[in-house]
Amino acid sequence: MITYEKHTLANGLTVLAHRDRFSRMAAINMLYKVGARNENPARTGFAHLFEHLMFRGTERVPDFDVPVQMACGENNAFTNNDYTDYYMTLPVDNVEVALWLESDRMTGLRIDRENLEAEKKVVIEEYKQRYLNQPYGDLWLLLRALAFGVHPYRWATIGLDPEHIAGATLGEVREFYRRFYNPSNAILSVAADLEPEQVFLLAEKWFGNLTGESCPKSEIPQEPVQSAPRRQEVVREVPATVVTIAFKMCGRTGDDFYSLDMISDLLAGGSSSRLYRRLVQEGRLFASANAYVTGDVDPGLFVVTGHLLPGVSPQEAEEALWEQLNELKKQPVEESELEKVKNKFEANTTFGEINVMNKAMNLGFYEMLGNLPLINREVGLYRSLTPERLMRCAEEVFVSEHSATLVYRAAGDGAAENIYKEMEI
Amino acid sequence: MKSAKQGSRKAHEYPEPPAIVTPAQAEVPLAREERLENGARLYTVDIPGQEVIRVSFVFRAGTSLQEIPFSASATVNLLSEGSQRWSAAQIAEQLDFYGSYYEVSTDRDYAVVTFCSLSRFFAETMEVAEQILLYPLFPEQEVRTYCTKQKQRLAVERTKVAFQARELFSRTLFGAEHPYGISSPAERYDDLERDMLVRFYDRCYTGRNCFVAVSGRVDDQVRERIAALAGRLPAGEVLRPNVGEAISARYAFAGHPGAVQSAIRIGIRLFPRTHPDFIPMQVVTTVLGGYFGSRLVQNLREERGYTYGVFAGMVNLEYEGYMAIATEVAAAATEDAVDQIFREMERLRNELVGEQELRMVKNIVAGEVMRILDGPFGIADVTIENVQNGTDNGYIDRFLRRVREVSPEEVLAMARKYLIPEHFTTVVVGEADPALSGKVWGSVK
Repeated sequence: MITYEKHTLANGLTVLAHRDRFSRMAAINMLYKVGARNENPARTGFAHLFEHLMFRGTERVPDFDVPVQMACGENNAFTNNDYTDYYMTLPVDNVEVALWLESDRMTGLRIDRENLEAEKKVVIEEYKQRYLNQPYGDLWLLLRALAFGVHPYRWATIGLDPEHIAGATLGEVREFYRRFYNPSNAILSVAADLEPEQVFLLAEKWFGNLTGESCPKSEIPQEPVQSAPRRQEVVREVPATVVTIAFKMCGRTGDDFYSLDMISDLLAGGSSSRLYRRLVQEGRLFASANAYVTGDVDPGLFVVTGHLLPGVSPQEAEEALWEQLNELKKQPVEESELEKVKNKFEANTTFGEINVMNKAMNLGFYEMLGNLPLINREVGLYRSLTPERLMRCAEEVFVSEHSATLVYRAAGDGAAENIYKEMEI
Repeated sequence: MKSAKQGSRKAHEYPEPPAIVTPAQAEVPLAREERLENGARLYTVDIPGQEVIRVSFVFRAGTSLQEIPFSASATVNLLSEGSQRWSAAQIAEQLDFYGSYYEVSTDRDYAVVTFCSLSRFFAETMEVAEQILLYPLFPEQEVRTYCTKQKQRLAVERTKVAFQARELFSRTLFGAEHPYGISSPAERYDDLERDMLVRFYDRCYTGRNCFVAVSGRVDDQVRERIAALAGRLPAGEVLRPNVGEAISARYAFAGHPGAVQSAIRIGIRLFPRTHPDFIPMQVVTTVLGGYFGSRLVQNLREERGYTYGVFAGMVNLEYEGYMAIATEVAAAATEDAVDQIFREMERLRNELVGEQELRMVKNIVAGEVMRILDGPFGIADVTIENVQNGTDNGYIDRFLRRVREVSPEEVLAMARKYLIPEHFTTVVVGEADPALSGKVWGSVK
């Protein structure tokens, strides 16, 4: 249970405050409602590139990290397809330092050609390090492009191509800043041992006189209903083949989200889960197997995936995954198994509410979804789900016409034996 | 930037920047210590506010104690794969049913088995813990499944330049036969058998090789329950790994055809945390590369765009300690990146660090400590580390005091004493060997 109070400033900034009486740290989260789904298809990766630029300093604060670190603080940020999140923790006595810095960079960012060029290079290195120079690094890029034909979810936050990042211009950067980095497009949340009233006063002090135009966002092209199965096979220099099947499902606030999230827990939540027990431990088809929901704002994906053990054919693996999905359509889940995933969800929610940073971040997230009270209702929603409901959702979602299957095949199908020897050269 | 005009118009309305406060000492609750008859020690910290309990059982059972490759990690990983009373599936089922979080880890010196549970499911969680810790069976079938999976996982890891570099660095820094340096071919998983794990378990998972750190909502009942469990471990013998003399080589390269980035590791063997120079050297290392905005980040990331990240840190082992710098850089930038790393160390030896920079580094170190101590899970981690170093939670306060005492002159003196280029080990994994041109890093100028 996270208690909170909400207040909106005249300029449209949403402020959320949670009081944690036990922590000496303050967590400050600033969420901007812009992500990769708002990007121009010819400039993908831009929201993430811009997130990096937010650390490049302002007229008043030439180096963003210096005052944070002076204040014993730590900060970072991430971008996903739906939003961009900046977060900071520091001793509660320094909470104003965080508010000062966030208000300062909401309007005063200093972006010139030189730091744009330097940042592009960093982001292109990040692209290489995380997506090109890693085994399976491009798997998720391929899967997105296969599952989505129209919606901007067809690209990852890093973008479709390093060339898109390389081509970003100063004009585009300034336009993006003007359009999306406004008080009315932002959510500030604070978790600390502070009275909410005090948080609102401080927010007024630091953000009250910022102005910003509110810019209507362009319509996001929505994905049409998929009518035929999609399939792609690639061969890469990796030690093991990976089979992944992705199904279209509702967005984060859709009616069936919790049922499908719970199904993913049944399949892959912990080492008593179905995929682990049946396909990894007993079936010995996979070295690892997983199932998860992407939890996107717009309709997203339900993903099942596994790393094959040597000697297992992709077809065999795929059939085994389908068998598990089909069982969910035919067999109601037993009460005790259901109770297990419900308990686990509740425990994980409690563990997640220990830390001030998680709490501030969650407040921002649920507000972004447009349903802040949901933050304390999810355990109850989970508890209310029935075996019949899960069966109905499984029937609707696990349909081959709505699926995208990616077979990421190891060159030579598991020549893993040679790898160690190669590195000894 | 919206526009320069707009910015300046707003400037006069803008409040004065807030004063930055350096918090007083970090308050760390001392752990209550109990010694059990079998030699196991119990450290408990009661923290109000959360209905959760975390228990970590720490055994002197790390990789340096194994005689057979992979037996230390296999033993700890297979503890939960079947016991006298329950099968692997039943154990997993029980833990998941109560939503309890179970995790094991190994490093070179220790193996740690951790349970986190809601207070209301604590008793049930300890029943499972008892089966895992006291009555593991290591069933043959589960051993084979584990070995097949791990062999494949290791093969995947070894296709990553960063992982390759980490292994190559340990071998080069300590020697390929040293317990801290050794790495083994993945095929050795094929030879691993149940008996070997049983022997390792019998030798290492004993009272004299165990301590337990507990934090969260800890009352007498909780403490007694854990003491009853740990008290039933056989006493055993206190173990010491066979740590011979480490032999560091200057340079090693491993080819990784097609790698778009090279992994670089540069470091030097120094001393464990108990050495009087450890804390000032930790400050030196932090200045060099211990935070975002450090000299190495400024140089390699912000100015040159060679890398997404670079880090320097002091690594503390039971019988050794070393300083290491780690980064992945664009393949074409490899040689210059190594040059720049040595250049930054040279600057530390030649120039006094600025007062402002040093104050910031001290506050960063203090902030890190405060963050770790925020909440019951972090306090358990801190307690574990302190016990491993033969000290108590009062160390945190002494540590922060010592950090505050470090002056620019001391940073310079430490850098001159320890950052001696010809003593450093450099390791590169990538497409091409940057030393092919005949270059030798760390040569005296």
